[in-house]
Amino acid sequence: MVSSCHAEVGRWKERLALTFALAGNPNVGKSSIFNRLTGMGVLTANYPGKTVAVNLGTTHFKGQEIGIVDLPGTYAIGAVSEDQWVARQALLESHPDAVLVVLDATRLERNLYLSLQLLDLGLPVVIALNLVDEAWRSGLQIDHQRMGRLLGVPVVPTVALRGQGLDRLVQAGLEAARMEGARPTKRRYGKDVEDAVAEIGDLLAKEGMALPHALPPRAAALLLLEEDEELLAWTGALPDGERILAKVRECAADVGARHGEPASLRIARERHGLAGAIASQVQQLTSRPSRVQDRLWRLTTSPLSGYLLLALTVTGLFGFLFSVGNLLSDLLASLWQAYPSPVIQAFVQLAFGEGVASRTILWVVDGGMNAALSIGVPYVLVFYFMLSLLEDTGYLNSIAFLTDPIMHRLGLHGRAAIPLIAGGGCNVPAILGLRVLTTMRERIIAGTLICLTPCSARTAVIAGAVSKYVGWKPAVLIYVITACIAFFAAWGLNRLLPGRSAGLVMEMFPFRRPSLAKMLRGTWSRFRDFLFVAAPALLAGSLVLGLIYETGLLWIFTAPLAPIVEGWLGLPSVAGLTLIFAVLRKELALQLLVTLAVAKYGSGVADLIQFMDKGQLFTYVLVNTLYIPCVATVAVLSKELGWRRALLISAFTILLALAAGGVARQVLAVWTL
Amino acid sequence: MPHDEKSLPPPLLQCLETVYRLGSQEGSAPLHAVSRKLELTTAVVGQQASALQSAGFLETSSHGRVRLTEEGTRIAVGLVRKHRLLERFLMEELELPWEEVHELACRLTPLLSHHVADRLAKLLGDPTTCPHGNPIPSADGALRRDSAIPLDRFKPGMAGTIVRIEPEEGDLLRYLAVLGLIPQARLEVGEVAPFGGPVLIRLGRAEYALGRDVASKIFVKET
Repeated sequence: MVSSCHAEVGRWKERLALTFALAGNPNVGKSSIFNRLTGMGVLTANYPGKTVAVNLGTTHFKGQEIGIVDLPGTYAIGAVSEDQWVARQALLESHPDAVLVVLDATRLERNLYLSLQLLDLGLPVVIALNLVDEAWRSGLQIDHQRMGRLLGVPVVPTVALRGQGLDRLVQAGLEAARMEGARPTKRRYGKDVEDAVAEIGDLLAKEGMALPHALPPRAAALLLLEEDEELLAWTGALPDGERILAKVRECAADVGARHGEPASLRIARERHGLAGAIASQVQQLTSRPSRVQDRLWRLTTSPLSGYLLLALTVTGLFGFLFSVGNLLSDLLASLWQAYPSPVIQAFVQLAFGEGVASRTILWVVDGGMNAALSIGVPYVLVFYFMLSLLEDTGYLNSIAFLTDPIMHRLGLHGRAAIPLIAGGGCNVPAILGLRVLTTMRERIIAGTLICLTPCSARTAVIAGAVSKYVGWKPAVLIYVITACIAFFAAWGLNRLLPGRSAGLVMEMFPFRRPSLAKMLRGTWSRFRDFLFVAAPALLAGSLVLGLIYETGLLWIFTAPLAPIVEGWLGLPSVAGLTLIFAVLRKELALQLLVTLAVAKYGSGVADLIQFMDKGQLFTYVLVNTLYIPCVATVAVLSKELGWRRALLISAFTILLALAAGGVARQVLAVWTL
Repeated sequence: MPHDEKSLPPPLLQCLETVYRLGSQEGSAPLHAVSRKLELTTAVVGQQASALQSAGFLETSSHGRVRLTEEGTRIAVGLVRKHRLLERFLMEELELPWEEVHELACRLTPLLSHHVADRLAKLLGDPTTCPHGNPIPSADGALRRDSAIPLDRFKPGMAGTIVRIEPEEGDLLRYLAVLGLIPQARLEVGEVAPFGGPVLIRLGRAEYALGRDVASKIFVKET
């Protein structure tokens, strides 16, 4: 469920006695903790115009219901990137009773930066020292009690993946929430900075105004020195605002002059310094960490082995997809035909007789279901599993690293590889993920590339039609053709569009031991969306197509398509109709084709070769792969890039698909598959 | 017959300064890099280069690269000095935000005379670096060079300390600061991807991949 406005957080919080915020750097196991704590009934709140969402859930602990606000994973609370901004707003606006900060125990120094920043805001912080098992395996021992004393907050070691330490974490959160008002705001930075903070803080306190988000004066003073836009604007609007701002500028210039760097940078430096000092005091290297994992990971990024491994991985994944997908497809289809199908047929005929109505219903409940089981489910499920595997092991990072030079030629950088790969699953979240790119120029290029990336639905069509009936080589050829077309389209855009691209800054994570449970959960959560959106679309499409087929109205719709579909592409014109239906969901193209085949030749056959020859199937799938992705993609595209650009991209892909299809037909007339 | 810098219009001065900045390590700079930096087409930059060449400030070397003449270098060092003094002035005296000063100084630099620059230096107490940590040349044109080289020229296994970060978009500077990539931070280079790919660095226990363009803005002294 997605709410349009952030008032949602306020309403949601109202009925809860207690709320905790969950903060942390990216990839520290924060979502594992959130999932463990909350379970069902998670809401998603969006800020208008922002795509980074905040998850809201509740947990039950010792008879109490506690709301959990899951902030986006960020390195800091600020305004530099969208995730930082959303994390900042949601944190300050939700007035949490405690903030649970999840730290990666293997990278304490960098992780402590965020904790210190949250402590500076005067928030009741409880630290979850996560991944302690991994730290221990890499020979790192952390004295969490000492860390707690140094920071003045409770520190609870956790292993989120196995749910260890979470009870104690929530308990510590409850205790922190109870201690309201008793939190001392500590001086922790250098004298110059602290003097400036005290001076500005006193000035603010004297104003007697309630500070925004009930911030303590010290926190507000620090934010002003750090050039926080919201606080600067708020102060400027005060009756005496100009004077306070003049004081802030004076203090900042003073700190700047003393240290030869701006006050905001000075504070960041001291915060890093403090984080490093705390980390070195509490952690101890007890044994040389095992270099095996490290070396293995090095292999994935070092030039020679890296590209070799990438090629092997891609080959392996597609081999797995085609073989396991085909196997599952055959299995599910034969199971369907053996058991439910005859029963359903008998039942429908019994209830509705032998007429048009009964045959139309069979299109939906027999043909449609058969198609879903033999195409949608097997290939999409296998693809999502593979995507979860890449994500969970951390190999996606290495891919981004290795593909950066290629992306650079297209006016993008390595981080764009991640939405692009996600685009192989589904174009919709991939386009939403374009927000990791900072300029509109990059978004247009990457958006076009994503639209030309075969999503799992299109892969299902490629696998289910070409690899199954024509052969795996032509199936791979479709990917190669699509990749070349996409590359040249992006390359051309990079040449045409004015401006240049921003650079890559990305944290790299070593391999993590993948957890099967986590991977299955990831697969399921993606697949669930697919089921609830795709299955109804398929059944509705089957119904409409069935109705016009059984009533004999098909020719009215297919006749106008004939010149293009028959004349130019050399396909039966009814296939053109399924291509148009496929705008709803790409795999509909093949599923409806199978449904047509079932209607024509009976349930037992379901063999597409009776319908079209190999060359026709190839052309059909190529066109389906290239022309506009589904309506949902166009909708998010127009939300992200504006409808004009979305329509342009759509029109471009249709022309591209027709051109490529026509060329393929001519080539295949000479060179048969 | 070399012209005086006063006869050069501001765009040509900007072009001259850019050639100097980009060529400061190797002596010459590729024209396409100059055009990218100035966000102009290669055709426009080509015209500017030939104008500077006929004025005797610049000469073309092989493979589309250009190099400043002695006279051109002298003018460029003067421009860099004015630019960095202005940055310092804008930040310290006018108290403008750190991220804005580079852009503003770019526009003001061609308008400043040497005389005003000297007064500015005096007002600021003869600073040696700009707010971003870059050295300010002295009035006689001597650049207090340090041995820092851009990170993208490091080899795997090398380590060093960040000396300064080239002023660019403010958001990038802030983002790098949050990650701990600030002057005086120590880092190691783990891997340099081929074909102009990213540089993998280790900072404390964390590792980051930095694109070549980002890495080229971070100047590191090998230790």
